[in-house]
Amino acid sequence: MGQKRILVVDDEPHMRIFMATLFETSGYKPVLAKNGAEGIQKARESTPDLIILDVMMPGGGGVEMYRQLKGDKTLKDVPVIMLSAVDDKTFSHSLKMFRITENGDLPEPDAYVEKLPEADKLLQIAETFLLNSSVNVQE
Amino acid sequence: MKEDILLVDDEEGIRKVLGIALSDRGYKVLTAEDGDGALRLFRETKPAVVLTDIKMPGMDGIELLKRVKEESPDTEVIMITGHGEMDLAIKSLKYEATDFVTKPINDDVLGIALKRAEERLSMKRQLREYTQNLEALVKEQSAKLIESERAAAVGQTVAGLAHAIKNIAGGLRGGVFVVDKGLELGNDQYLRRGWDMVKKDVARIRSMALDLLNFSKARCPDYQLADPNTVVREVLGLMGPRAAKYDVTLDAELDEKLPKIWFDPEGMHRCLVNLITNAIDACSDVTCADRKGRVVLRSFVPKSQNYPAGYEVEDNGCGIAEEVVPLVFHRFFSTKGTKGTGLGLMTTKKIVDEHDGEIEVHSNHGEGTRFLIRFGRTEPQVEGDGVSSANPKGSRIA
Repeated sequence: MGQKRILVVDDEPHMRIFMATLFETSGYKPVLAKNGAEGIQKARESTPDLIILDVMMPGGGGVEMYRQLKGDKTLKDVPVIMLSAVDDKTFSHSLKMFRITENGDLPEPDAYVEKLPEADKLLQIAETFLLNSSVNVQE
Repeated sequence: MKEDILLVDDEEGIRKVLGIALSDRGYKVLTAEDGDGALRLFRETKPAVVLTDIKMPGMDGIELLKRVKEESPDTEVIMITGHGEMDLAIKSLKYEATDFVTKPINDDVLGIALKRAEERLSMKRQLREYTQNLEALVKEQSAKLIESERAAAVGQTVAGLAHAIKNIAGGLRGGVFVVDKGLELGNDQYLRRGWDMVKKDVARIRSMALDLLNFSKARCPDYQLADPNTVVREVLGLMGPRAAKYDVTLDAELDEKLPKIWFDPEGMHRCLVNLITNAIDACSDVTCADRKGRVVLRSFVPKSQNYPAGYEVEDNGCGIAEEVVPLVFHRFFSTKGTKGTGLGLMTTKKIVDEHDGEIEVHSNHGEGTRFLIRFGRTEPQVEGDGVSSANPKGSRIA
């Protein structure tokens, strides 16, 4: 069984290096992308087991990529952890508003983590999805 | 207690009779037999009401009326007129007499005139009271408002600062984590990467502290006679590598006709660095545009006569959303998420303000942004540091 792949999409180099190191040293294979467009492309190339997506990126940002992911047959079941610099309530509110405009057909992300995440906490959340996905998605 | 009343008539009989009638009505009565005497007494006692005969030897009633109204417009003056003196009576009304009563004096008519005078007095008093109350109220309320705004501003500043520091601290924590992993696993690559992150965050803290320091100082521009294009060339040299790193073209279009003017080259240098840093960031934001980023720095002579020089920084980056444009100069406002401190444009505006210059922004979302600064003086500053700037070190010419 190969290493599980985690796609990290964040426009900040710091965050990418931090998360890459975190997952690499925990036995996973990080795949890095610095914006939504690159993120979608790499997601299609590598079919990751988990995606960590920064919401607050310039331009369309993480939400646009999230919408594309959920519209993609092969990628729509890949769990997504959203990273956001704003607090819990504001974030879920804005997400709700966003989903309303999308006629409600967009599911909520699997988890939400406030930026800048504690290494242990992020890893713990990530691993709950990676363990689940070994049952469901692994071919 | 009723008002003081000054009764002026050259006929002693009338003074006596009227005096008694007025005392009966509750007034405190003072009397004078001519205009001069009346005026003297008026100045001493400031009665609220003057009752004066129109025809008197020496200074007549009309003249007395004029003088009293000049000195004390709020005093009510009632004229006493004889038969066939209607012209004079009307004339007195023109000079703001309250009313007139004709001789022989009918008690009821006098009563009406006095009542009118009293009503006017009390109206004026009330009006003055209201006005004063209103002024006091406005003062009190504005003091409260200023205080609460100040508190709000401090609160915002602290919140903004806390946010900026939290971001950098978070970054540092990430760097420390990577360094730790490097040490733990003896991995040189992690060590180097992590150390690099830490160094970058230290630089961010330093730059933020400098910006803050700069902002907290109410700094007087160090006016020097210098060529605005020299500053542009310096900034181009400084920002060139950054633009190249982000694959953004940085061009300059200089108006070589720009004269040497008085301004603070260091301050303007900082403004341009801030604006160009933002412009490059806007262009390298690949999510909104796939065109090649281009930043143009221009110098120009403004059309308006108010300023001798102007700079323009134009980019073809993402542009600023319309609703956000009014906020860009606000403290700690940033569109760059966790990367921006919101200090750059705030500092830039402050420097321009200190120059008595003007800064404006034009932006089309998705097409690009243009910042314009107009500034400078053709004459050195007259007061204070004018002496020191008379020998400008700004004579470094390109």
